[in-house]
Amino acid sequence: MNEIEQTGLATMRDCWITGGTSFELAPATWKEFAAGAGPDERERRLLAIAAQALEIALRPAAPKTLKRRAPLPELALPMLPERLRPLLRAALKHAADARGKSRVVALVASRGFVLHPMDWMPAASDQTSPDVYAPWIDWQASVDGEKHTSREQLTAKNWDEFYPAARRSALADMRRTAPAVARQLIETKGSSEPAEIRLALIALMHFGLGAGDVPFLKSLSADRSGKVRELAGRLLARLGEHGQPGDGGPEEPTAELAAFITEGKSGFIRRRTTYAPAKLKSPAQERRRAELFETCNLVDLAARFGVTETDFIGAWQFGADNNVDILVSRMVAASGSDTAVTHMADTLAAEGGKPAPFVLHLMPRLDSRRQRDLIRLILKDTHYLGVLSLAEGVEAGWLDWADLTNGKTLPALCAAVAGNDEAVKRGADQFLETLGFFATAAVAEKLIGDVVAAGMAPAAPSLGLLRLNASLAGP
Amino acid sequence: MEFDLKTIEALAPDQASLSAASKLTRQSNWPRLEKNEELALVWGECQGSGSNPYRVVVDTGDHGYKCTCPSRKFPCKHTLALMWIAATAPASFTAAGSAPEWVNDWLGRRRKTTSPPAVPTPGAARKSIGEASLDDESATVEDAAAIERREAAQRKRAEDTRSSVAAALDELDQWISDQLRLGLAGFVDNSSDRCRRIAARLVDMKATALAGRIDEIPSRLMGLRSEERPDAAIRELGKLVLLAKAWRQTPDDAELRRLVSTSESREQVLANPHAIQVESLWEVLGEKIETRRDGLVSHSTWLLDLKSAAPRFALLLDYFPASAGRRSNAFTPGDRFVARLVFYPARQPLRALVAERRGDVSSGQWPDFSFGAADPLAAHVAHQDTAPWLTDCPVLLPPGAILLDDRGDAWWQSTDDPHGIALPIADAVNPTLLGLDLAATAALWSGSRLHLLAAQSGFGRLDLS
Repeated sequence: MNEIEQTGLATMRDCWITGGTSFELAPATWKEFAAGAGPDERERRLLAIAAQALEIALRPAAPKTLKRRAPLPELALPMLPERLRPLLRAALKHAADARGKSRVVALVASRGFVLHPMDWMPAASDQTSPDVYAPWIDWQASVDGEKHTSREQLTAKNWDEFYPAARRSALADMRRTAPAVARQLIETKGSSEPAEIRLALIALMHFGLGAGDVPFLKSLSADRSGKVRELAGRLLARLGEHGQPGDGGPEEPTAELAAFITEGKSGFIRRRTTYAPAKLKSPAQERRRAELFETCNLVDLAARFGVTETDFIGAWQFGADNNVDILVSRMVAASGSDTAVTHMADTLAAEGGKPAPFVLHLMPRLDSRRQRDLIRLILKDTHYLGVLSLAEGVEAGWLDWADLTNGKTLPALCAAVAGNDEAVKRGADQFLETLGFFATAAVAEKLIGDVVAAGMAPAAPSLGLLRLNASLAGP
Repeated sequence: MEFDLKTIEALAPDQASLSAASKLTRQSNWPRLEKNEELALVWGECQGSGSNPYRVVVDTGDHGYKCTCPSRKFPCKHTLALMWIAATAPASFTAAGSAPEWVNDWLGRRRKTTSPPAVPTPGAARKSIGEASLDDESATVEDAAAIERREAAQRKRAEDTRSSVAAALDELDQWISDQLRLGLAGFVDNSSDRCRRIAARLVDMKATALAGRIDEIPSRLMGLRSEERPDAAIRELGKLVLLAKAWRQTPDDAELRRLVSTSESREQVLANPHAIQVESLWEVLGEKIETRRDGLVSHSTWLLDLKSAAPRFALLLDYFPASAGRRSNAFTPGDRFVARLVFYPARQPLRALVAERRGDVSSGQWPDFSFGAADPLAAHVAHQDTAPWLTDCPVLLPPGAILLDDRGDAWWQSTDDPHGIALPIADAVNPTLLGLDLAATAALWSGSRLHLLAAQSGFGRLDLS
């Protein structure tokens, strides 16, 4: 289309938009086609020519400011094979929430694969996905994509060349191998970061936490952010350091919490001290006690009663009040020393039965042997199978067939599947999904066979994760 | 397999369904028959009267079933036929290691029945498999005079239709002139009512296909930014003028008749000696299922020929009433199969039927179609040269990427020509796509927007439809 035609088309277009005849405005060459017809037919002919001109000769004007995202980085693990993607999508679709989806992702990563980015992408704020996804988390977080994820050792010099997720991953690794170097980096570079990032950096110090970290953590008591100060206090408490000494009066939080706890004695021959939740008069008092458990440290509370952390835990009367037991477990998980945490886990696991599920709160701080022992213990009994779905920080793909058959779990599961109680069946569905994460590939395959024999639809969606697990057995 | 003919008889809603099912039990109707005994499932794809095959799955344990056909009979003839084959010729089913995704989808959604399967209904006694099998043999033979009378009536009807359509096109011409006189600004603002009125007139005058197209103009205009709509209105109305003129020149032209009044039947296309037939390896690029204003749902499946030197596409197109409910997809994007396709005669053959399907092939990369450095919309221009009334044109775009403008709208841009042509994308894109280099992209160009179907990238095939 030449310039005259373009100008003609523009004026005809304006004429038609408002209404009227455009014949006189048309380019001469177009007029030739329209001439000799009635007024309406002339306009229609010109309309047909204009339509074709717009269709063929003109293209949408591309904006000058089109922005290109940085290429999505390739990850260190290979992509899940194409033939397994339908199974993966089925498992992801069935996973009810982000926790369920992250388990699918963790299981696949534990078998040496990553997901296709069109099937699943971590969110920019993701902090729970396997480390292998750090480049994608950073890609999600970046807007302009100028930086490159470096595979070099993180140092103060190249700090700014790392995206936050890659930095977090590198620092976590460094804390495991050279905690002092990592601490120095956090100390040097962290102070210039905003509070939210500073908090995430300090949280990384729980890897390889040791006495050498005390001076730095103490220096954070003057930090601008209340959350950072609180976290530093928790980490110090884990190291047995007491918080800021108060005046010891009844207004001091630890003293207030201690007042909500009853100290007693038990045993006829060897009298020993016990601690139990005090009976409170109002829901407001219960709320206050819950708040205090959230903010106080175990070491301070134990000191208040003049005992060590482990003595306090040993004397606590688990089973007296479920809600308070959970609060105690969470306090131990947040501020207890490593010794206190393992002592509590071992004590409750040794007792077995009812209190054991509370130790799930401690899971993220337990070593994998204790995590597995505890899960085996819960599996042995059938009363708390539901709580297993809440377990966090546990490895995927280790549960053996003996773990599953060493108790009543499998018969109970098969009975639930075969029965007609819809609520029990839903519970069984959820449990199967949990087992899909814990089980080895061989166990997953065998378990599918057993529950199908018990009456479950062979292609039931709740078997999705088990099917994916079984298919990830090998090449 | 846990079927017997008594069960099928009991499940059938009526004798007619059984009779219809008996005609579908020939294996030639079923390009795919598979089973998985562990999952207690049989499934298959039945080539029905539509372009897309119907997908049928039956649970042999509790006799639950699902078919993608729009029938309101439950179970439909396709389901009954699949059960019938399972009961009488179980060897026809190939054992499959796992169920395909569409079967898994159904399983995920279904609610298991707790009642015992196949309770005979009160009318079951009046249905008979034996009677259904005899139906084929009792076809009546027409005499020559009756054939002559029928053909004469057909010719008369065709003549009446032609006169009626000619009158409809005159009315359409007048309507277009009115829109130009009244102003396209008003037409754009009020296109819904104005198009509905003329579409209703065209339906009355037997220009049904054209009416359906005009009914869709408002939604096509509303999909664009307000400043683009007048140009789009010029394009839409100008194409109608061209189509009307072309029909007047050759009213018996099959392509034009299809676009203006009615389409030929599946049987007519298959029997047409001039219809182009292509046997090749086809990949399902994607599907579009859209509910139209006239109450029909259009179901388009786009295929890519993987063996032709230049990109060749095929469209399997079906319509069914929206009242029949949501219909599952007929294919899974990325499926590959060897098939003989018969194209509806046209200047740019695109719409096709699957005449024969030979078997599935595993997926992989697209062949290197050696894109020229020229215009990525060259195929569209070629289509417009021969058939200027066409709207959507499939294109295979060279290496490129998806970019965002200041408003957050997505554009496709060629890698080799970063400052040149960029094509706006119709819908919001998955943000992950913005970080992928696309080695090739299959899409539909509507004249103003790109509707993505599929792409090849460093991360393999991407389903974008």
